[in-house]
Amino acid sequence: MRRIAVASFVVFLMLSSKSQAADGEALVLVQKAFDYWRGLSSYSEFSMTIHRPDFERTMILRGWTKGRSDGLFYVLQPPKDMGNGSLKKGRQMWSYNPKINRAIKLPPSMMSQSWMGSDFSNDDLAKSDSILDDYDHAVVEREMVDGHQVFTVESIAKEDAPVVWGKQILRVRDDFILLSEQFFDEDMELVKEMTAEDLVEFSGRIFPKIWTMRRVDERDRFTRLEYHILEFDIDIEDRLFTLASLKSKKRLQ
Amino acid sequence: MNDLLLAWRNIWRNPRRSILTTLAIAFATALLVFMLSFQFGAYDDMIDSSVRLSTGHVQIVAPGYHQRPEMRKVIDNPEELLQEATMLSTVDAVSLRSEAFVLASGEKRSRGVMVTGVAPHHESKISSVPQQIKKGRYLTEGDGAAGVIGALAAQHLQLDIGDECVLLGSGRDGSIAAAVIEIVGIFKSGVDEFDRSIMQLPLAEFDTIFSMEGAVHRLIFTFAHLSDSQAGAAQLRQGERARKLQVLTWEELTPGLKQSIELDLISGIIMYFILVIVVAFSILNTFFMAIFERKKEFGVLMSIGMKPRRLVVLMLLESFSMTTVGLVLGILCGIIITLVAARYGISMGDSAEFMAQYGMPERLYPKLTLLSVMVGPLLIFVVTLLTALIPVLRIPSLRPVEALRS
Repeated sequence: MRRIAVASFVVFLMLSSKSQAADGEALVLVQKAFDYWRGLSSYSEFSMTIHRPDFERTMILRGWTKGRSDGLFYVLQPPKDMGNGSLKKGRQMWSYNPKINRAIKLPPSMMSQSWMGSDFSNDDLAKSDSILDDYDHAVVEREMVDGHQVFTVESIAKEDAPVVWGKQILRVRDDFILLSEQFFDEDMELVKEMTAEDLVEFSGRIFPKIWTMRRVDERDRFTRLEYHILEFDIDIEDRLFTLASLKSKKRLQ
Repeated sequence: MNDLLLAWRNIWRNPRRSILTTLAIAFATALLVFMLSFQFGAYDDMIDSSVRLSTGHVQIVAPGYHQRPEMRKVIDNPEELLQEATMLSTVDAVSLRSEAFVLASGEKRSRGVMVTGVAPHHESKISSVPQQIKKGRYLTEGDGAAGVIGALAAQHLQLDIGDECVLLGSGRDGSIAAAVIEIVGIFKSGVDEFDRSIMQLPLAEFDTIFSMEGAVHRLIFTFAHLSDSQAGAAQLRQGERARKLQVLTWEELTPGLKQSIELDLISGIIMYFILVIVVAFSILNTFFMAIFERKKEFGVLMSIGMKPRRLVVLMLLESFSMTTVGLVLGILCGIIITLVAARYGISMGDSAEFMAQYGMPERLYPKLTLLSVMVGPLLIFVVTLLTALIPVLRIPSLRPVEALRS
């Protein structure tokens, strides 16, 4: 009897400590991390390497982002794929192909498919900021790494939120640099993991140069992004993020 | 011989009882013959329509492609392999296919679709799709950027004959593949999953769009008979080039189909056992009654010196004769019913649409085989003889005096 009483007291403590942790601190941390990641706006050139056990392919892309939800990306190389583009506006996405000169809106059923053949899904691009609105956050661990405090944030999907991942675990440094992001399915099984490495300075901002997305169940399959140029908080007109702009060839020069 | 005659006469001493027993056996036999033929026929139809619709009897694919289809897992120089394979005498037809999962888009809507590159000329020998065109026409050898699409996919994308459909996917080398296809035909197989997700293009066009460089994903074989497919697959595996690839039979390609057949067969077998048990009880009843009624007769026979063993043999002969007559009658009726049904087919009525989901045709045709004719009757024969033994073996324990008095 006493044992049960003790056990239930412990459970009560655990529950209350958990709800305590799910206060604003974690949300602010995640918000800041994403804002730091994106800036008010950004311009970048990066290479994307898709690695498979028997195959590897590298593309070079150029991208603009503005605010938390708008983005435009183009393939520069290889020549065969040059001019292919993706436009992200809010939670919607369009894909453009220069050969047929059409922009296609991606239907909801295709959002979990891979983006340009990589291990990133369309959802990763379109919904990467949905973590702010659709999840409850809690700091579950704090540790010191290389003189920085690193927070581990557990983000659990809100009930009825239209999201793919049941849970995400983020590791954020005290200067709001996102170090890793783990994606769990609805059964809370780890599916894929994004890690950031090689912190360098891009236009005055410390930023990871290399991002790797790998699926956990398969060895030797990953996609690596490496930033070559990255500028933050530049002036970008809103009309860059329109269908007409997606179809325009000017962005390639 | 005399005993057989005696047994025969005994049977006709009570014609009504004997005829009823015989008819029960005949009815059960006829039912078993027909039902088994019907089931086997339906299975063959199911397998055949599934094979015709998509898988073929046997396929050759690159290692690992079946487990996890990826654009890169291809068969290079398929023509060589094609020649190697057509040497096989049992092969009925061969065709090449390639597949890609793409985003297909109509004027307003888009959705994910499986695009299959097919050789139109070969495909018409293997696949039922060319016959299932509901609107427009099937692909021909000369077609360029033309495609046929499943009715449900067409409906969803709001596409009609002559409309343009935009495809966006990735090629064999990982590059971005895109094309504009003119819809020339719409097919409806009745299998929703297929009609919702499949689009077919000429193989040459597929090759260009998806940078296949002459390679394909699958070699599809059909054989003259379903029963040839196992042996055929084994022979194909011997081939110089096929050894490095994967040879799969329809059972491996559609394990669900095989399982549903097995499940159905098991539930059928349970029903047949119940049927046979009912027949067995009817026989048991008849014999108990007979022995009860004829106790006096046995007493007389035994007191004038007939050995109990001979009495047992006599009774078993009676049972044997009745069973045989019943079986012959039943088999004849069963065969006649089956043949008539096999000629005209059995309409599935309202459930036809439901069955179509599982790739079943509208009319089912029973198939008379030696197996379907023999299995049921043999079972009944054994069971009735065994049941007859139970009452008959009580005869030796009869005491003549007591039997006479009863």
